[in-house]
Amino acid sequence: MKASMFAGMGYSQRATFPSIWPVSPVHADPETSVQSYREGMDECELAEEMGFDWLSFSEHHYSGRIATGTPSVMASAVAERCKKIKIALLGHLLPLNNPVRVAEELALLDNLSNGRLVAGFLRGTPNEDQVYTVNPAEGRGRLLEGMDLILKALTEPEPFSWEGRYYQFRTVAVWPRLVQQPLPQVVVGTRSDDTVRYAAEHRLGLGVSFLPVGETAKITDKYRLWCEEAGWTPGPDDIVYRGSIYVAETDKLANEWFESLTQSRPGPNIPMRRTVSEAIQAARTGNTFDLRGVVAGSPEGDVVGNSLGINFLGGPDTVASQIKEFHDRCGVGVIDMPFQQNKVDHKAVMKEIELFGKEVIPQIREFE
Amino acid sequence: MLFQEKQLEADGFKIRYWEAGQGRPVVMFDPTGWRESVLHDALAEQYQVFSLELPGTGGSPVNTESESIGDLASTAAKAAASITSEKYTLAGTSFGASVALWQTILSPEQVEALILVSPMSIKPQQVPTAADAADAHRVLFAHEENAAKRSHISQDIYDKESELSRRLGVGVHDAEVEARLGDIHCPTLAVFGQEDHFVTPEAPRVYREKIPNCNIALVYDSGHCIIGDRPEALVNAVVDYAEHWETFIIGHQSGLINP
Repeated sequence: MKASMFAGMGYSQRATFPSIWPVSPVHADPETSVQSYREGMDECELAEEMGFDWLSFSEHHYSGRIATGTPSVMASAVAERCKKIKIALLGHLLPLNNPVRVAEELALLDNLSNGRLVAGFLRGTPNEDQVYTVNPAEGRGRLLEGMDLILKALTEPEPFSWEGRYYQFRTVAVWPRLVQQPLPQVVVGTRSDDTVRYAAEHRLGLGVSFLPVGETAKITDKYRLWCEEAGWTPGPDDIVYRGSIYVAETDKLANEWFESLTQSRPGPNIPMRRTVSEAIQAARTGNTFDLRGVVAGSPEGDVVGNSLGINFLGGPDTVASQIKEFHDRCGVGVIDMPFQQNKVDHKAVMKEIELFGKEVIPQIREFE
Repeated sequence: MLFQEKQLEADGFKIRYWEAGQGRPVVMFDPTGWRESVLHDALAEQYQVFSLELPGTGGSPVNTESESIGDLASTAAKAAASITSEKYTLAGTSFGASVALWQTILSPEQVEALILVSPMSIKPQQVPTAADAADAHRVLFAHEENAAKRSHISQDIYDKESELSRRLGVGVHDAEVEARLGDIHCPTLAVFGQEDHFVTPEAPRVYREKIPNCNIALVYDSGHCIIGDRPEALVNAVVDYAEHWETFIIGHQSGLINP
């Protein structure tokens, strides 16, 4: 089994942010920000040194918690500092982006890293739809068409035109060509049946994030079944799980850290104004939303999505056993983890990376 | 859309207003000469629109009674209450936005949502003193050709309104209203032209910071008179906000090219 560090490149003072999305840029001090990115890159270097297999980057906007709105820029900088590790874009939010531009960024990054790219496609969390004013009802359609267009743009050696539902380009001819032919490993990050099926039918990998092991297994079971129906068997690297982590020397220390969190506990959800959150969910699912039936409150009181929980918590042996559950029950072959938690500073993150590298990675290597 | 002229009485003032459309009520305070616009027509397609002529503006007699913008807002609240018993969306432009802001603070129970277009209550900026009504008209726009498309108000009305504005402190930073922005709990949109020289560039962020549920819309290539410089953009933002409030940030338009 392989280990990947999710390089969130968070702003170091992120614990002080208000519990709302978007976070106003007024909270970003440029000096602290520069230092934070330097620290983030130091964490990447240490992860490579400690034997991690991948560094992953993800597109997230308007917050310093994961401060990589343009992940390929960040990945390029890290690819120059870390010379051997895989650079995993997990990934671009396709409904928000011009797919041809995404294809060009991926191709360039595969060249800059000399064939170390892993590409990932995501729809994005509900808040992300607002960033470039994408109609949430059309996100799935844009994702599906965007994936098709990117794969074609990366592999077609002659210029072509694209007459899509959401995209129209009269000439596409992406340069440079990929180093990894015909394609680098591609992971589709999803929980939805139609995109899981898309991944299976196109012989692409699957990424699942932050769900409990039982829920994850339901998705990966379907994926593996549909892969078999499509005539192939996914390899160990084809199922990626991203889960939050806090590893300490002992279970007791890890639990004490978790208990010390009184608010803003780490979780997968993005806190938004309740009306906005509900309206997006309604649009995504084709339902109506009665805005005037919701009573507006204070910004703090109106927030939803600040969920509790962390996926991997404990000493090295405990964390290894928790990861084994995902391996055994879900077929996960790559575990992708953000070590930057809300109230864990750079020094502590470095300590965790070292501890994970020395005491957990040797254990998970044995999971076959 | 045909607006019908009507009249009401409040605080001893006879106030003209124009009404059109059906649906949830929208009450508007507009500068003289900006009332007949595509914005009013667009809102009246979906809402019952009441556009009030504030005492001392337009064709109304000189107003020597109101002693402050808050005073005028109190009169405006009574006027609005006399034409609709429902909560309404309140939309004010320029001087009308100053009145709408105070009205929302003083009578929050009446206002369902607040839309401020080119408000000047916070961090206004001194513009050169105009020689006359025509001169004052020109500085409202980002482009002279847009100013030329619209006729300016008469010198008599300009003199009357200028005196009222001077007496009520229009164009002077309203520290009291700034201190009370946190009391506004209804959804609020504040719209500014990017080239509005009547307020400082820092003004919009004060609304965003201090009103708990406030969105800011900046209209590119527009001066103070957005309805003159970029009417379609103003209609788009205001009508979307009137319908969706703070969820107007969610994309509602389809990007489908060919099904």
